Amino acid sequence: MTKKKIGVYVCHCGGNISDYVDIEKVKEAVKDEANVYLLKNTLFACSDSSQKEMVADIQTNELDAIVVASCSPKLHVPTFRGVAQRAGMNPYNYVQVNIREQGSWAHSDNPKGATEKAILLVKAGIARAAESEALTSSKIPAANVVAVIGAGVGGMRSAIALADMGTEVYLIEKEKNVGGHVANFGSLFTTDKMGYELSANLLSEVKKRENIKLFTNAEIVEKKGSIGNFDIQVKVDNDVLPLHVGAFVVNTGFDSYQPQQGEYGFGEQTNVITLPEFKKLIDNSSERLIFNGKAIKKVAYIYCVGSRQNDEGDNKYCSRYCCTAAIHASVQVNKKFKDVTNLHFNRGIRTYGKQELLYEESSKNGDIYLQFSLDSIPEITQKGGKTFVKVKDILSAGKEVETEADLVVLVTGMVPRENSKLASQLKIPVGRDNFFNEIHMKLRPVETVIDGVLIAGTCQSPKNILETMNSSMAAAAKINSVLTKGEMTLDPTLAKINPSQCTWCGKCAEACPFDAIIQTEFDGRIVAKINEANCKGCGMCTPVCPTDAIDLAGFTNAQIEGMIDALAE
Amino acid sequence: MEATNNDSMNRSNAGTTDYDVLVIGAGIAGEESALKLADMGFKVLLIEKEPSIGGKMILLSKVFPTLDCAACITTPKVSETARHPNITILTLAEAESIVKEENNLFSVTFKKHPRYVVENDCTGCQECETVCPMVVKDQFQFNLVARKAIYIPFNIANPRVALIDIENCTLCGACEQKCPSNCIDFTQKEELVNIKVKSVIVATGFKLFDPISIERYGYGRYKNVITSMQMERELAPTRPFNSVLRPSDGKVPDKIAYIFCTGSRDHTVGNPICSQVCCMYSTKQAQLLMGALPMADISLYYINIRAFGKGFNEFYMQAKDMGANYVKGKIGSISEKENGNLILRYEDIVTGKVTEKEHDLVVLSVGLLANHEITKVFKNEKLELDALKYIKQPDLLQSPATTSIKGVFVAGTATSPMDIPDTIMSAGAAASETSGYLNQWS
Repeated sequence: MTKKKIGVYVCHCGGNISDYVDIEKVKEAVKDEANVYLLKNTLFACSDSSQKEMVADIQTNELDAIVVASCSPKLHVPTFRGVAQRAGMNPYNYVQVNIREQGSWAHSDNPKGATEKAILLVKAGIARAAESEALTSSKIPAANVVAVIGAGVGGMRSAIALADMGTEVYLIEKEKNVGGHVANFGSLFTTDKMGYELSANLLSEVKKRENIKLFTNAEIVEKKGSIGNFDIQVKVDNDVLPLHVGAFVVNTGFDSYQPQQGEYGFGEQTNVITLPEFKKLIDNSSERLIFNGKAIKKVAYIYCVGSRQNDEGDNKYCSRYCCTAAIHASVQVNKKFKDVTNLHFNRGIRTYGKQELLYEESSKNGDIYLQFSLDSIPEITQKGGKTFVKVKDILSAGKEVETEADLVVLVTGMVPRENSKLASQLKIPVGRDNFFNEIHMKLRPVETVIDGVLIAGTCQSPKNILETMNSSMAAAAKINSVLTKGEMTLDPTLAKINPSQCTWCGKCAEACPFDAIIQTEFDGRIVAKINEANCKGCGMCTPVCPTDAIDLAGFTNAQIEGMIDALAE
Repeated sequence: MEATNNDSMNRSNAGTTDYDVLVIGAGIAGEESALKLADMGFKVLLIEKEPSIGGKMILLSKVFPTLDCAACITTPKVSETARHPNITILTLAEAESIVKEENNLFSVTFKKHPRYVVENDCTGCQECETVCPMVVKDQFQFNLVARKAIYIPFNIANPRVALIDIENCTLCGACEQKCPSNCIDFTQKEELVNIKVKSVIVATGFKLFDPISIERYGYGRYKNVITSMQMERELAPTRPFNSVLRPSDGKVPDKIAYIFCTGSRDHTVGNPICSQVCCMYSTKQAQLLMGALPMADISLYYINIRAFGKGFNEFYMQAKDMGANYVKGKIGSISEKENGNLILRYEDIVTGKVTEKEHDLVVLSVGLLANHEITKVFKNEKLELDALKYIKQPDLLQSPATTSIKGVFVAGTATSPMDIPDTIMSAGAAASETSGYLNQWS
């Protein structure tokens, strides 16, 4: 039934919208639209005071639908559905119109055009609201069980945190051993705790908890279902185990950048090694720092190898941990061995926060810092069996400096681990930097666009151990807060099949990315049926149906046609 | 996943206690911890000493490196916190004493400052502001403009109700006569409230460095030397003026300088560490200024650029490509010309020469300092600080949210300078640790 009393709110978003879109013109243009009962503008529609006003408006005027013209629905659909609900209106009689991302921001160079576009979008939104239907969510049981993928220090920490909050955990590790990179590390910045100790402590905590089951040599081979109810097959050694989980915390970590053959002499000159190799050398040497039988007196560290690359390289990002890790290694060298000089060839030291103190300590130790830019990188040469590093040093007004070095340490960064199989199994989005991508960097940094698939640690972006722990525990807290209720609310914006019109051609099942369309019998015929637990309401099936037998709740054909009419006016 | 978040659930076994968790500080860290625990079913009391929740983030313009509008992404969080059935919020409330009892409960006394306005009756109409005769500096606009003695803290404040700044009030009664809902109440008194809780999260945030102590920069003497937080307000959607203006004469500036590391990496002011956010927020402001004032030159004087987080280096490169002029050099001194312009004297590291350059507005990229006053509230067991006066994290790498007191946890910039995503993750870690602790209880 067409809605007759629609409330329309046009948001200024501070100035984000109103600096470019003429709000008064928008109001003037839509005030006579059919079914508009109330029309207001608001400085911030999402502010609590404005939400309260809307609740009061809906109740006093007995509105039967509302339209908010503001920002992206990704941001505020839950906010205004909540407003409708609190006012006693069905949340699905609310329509969001995006005049910011699709209006003011996209057309900041053309305010007149932005205003015209906003007017049409608002009119289309009103038409959609007029044909909107009340929908009811249903609830399904959800398993308070999480599969944590990757048993590095981050994954183990997620598992422990989840277990302590009452969630059952399957901790799934691809390798034979747990602890990842950190299990092989000695002293860690900024505490000087040993990496292998940290890893061992975490493993013993994992083992103490009955509600954590650890599988090593294990990987997921199959996944079905959606948040609250995933069914997975896990291959452990040569067995395949079926498991039922509510969600995933992906904590698969990073790979160390492997320099290319010849990059700063790597692979060609034996005394050019990577930072992880050097850390091992420090840990395994006592009294004297010896490499290939030769005492090391001068170490040259070359920073940003594999990070902050120019257009020819893949990695534009900063790897975050390496400046501090290299400086920490040089401080270790000074603590452990006498008379070693550290020369740091860097591109601007990034020991952010408290890590600055290590940089200070290294400078006080007499370490030498030389800075280069990407268009003039250090040259490593061999002369008479000796290694020389030459650089134009920014810190001494671009003077060319050449120095001998016994060992060249390439400060290698983090790169995303090759994980395409897992990424496609769980449909995890990957960002421009090829790390896994969160849904909202600021406010939801451990969630992805796939409900029930969370990411933590360095698979999301380079992080140090402290940051990895925080993100691993944050992911645990987030998913526990969802699953601990024991049930999930299903979004009612689902596809509906009209069986009398369906002829089962199978096109919809082919188009469905979520395996949500199954066959059923109706009047002695095979027809399509929606598996509601799997349907995400994406709408892929509706346009391919040759007999128009599918309607998507919230985006019905009547609504879409109404919107097209408004836009084409 | 968000759909079920507001369904309230009660996992509390509060019994003789009033709340499962007391969260001190309602900035983004406190809000995030409170929301996660409330979603898990615990009863949370969130106290905030300011008249509005939202902390510092709600006052920002846009945030790096996504350029999301800060108000737009915090208000839903603020509003969700305010409405959550398992969260009780008290503003203008300050913890006075916290004593850990033998039964492991915390006995908490906090002071509730009077608002002199009945919170539930005020409609936020601002009629009172129109009649109040007292004009004072607006601290939420970082003194760029004035407010009245009775005022709503800022447009998107939560709760959006008035309060009276009694120190500046003449008790003339004009507001009382004008108020249509009769909510002015001069008889309100300071109250002391005692409650019992099972756990505490300290989310007291940071203090901004006050550059008045660096005399050579002339802040407080030269009108056109402002702080980055003042620039943040000039760029915010709820900005005080409709354009970026310099204070001395209201001119739109066209040669703007940023001075990085003001109050950071500087032993002379007692803060040797890097503040972790200033390089990036300055880079963000430079990008916003290049958008708002396309003809303006923006120079950024830096020591090292700390563009370390996800997308940060790319954002820094983008600012350079847009024309931001990054100058490697530390400013020695600033002098003021008669027309209000400023001469910066610095060593240009690239040329190695001492150089002077004129700008018409200087923005000091002020750093973050530890806000450690909360420690004196803990009366019997000691809440320890680290050498830099941040809350000590005794098990930094394994359980970063635990403190020296069992049952007291820490979130966000109370532990160290950090940006918004790191704060949200640290707050999530604190919620996780607290929930684990509360589960042991039952």
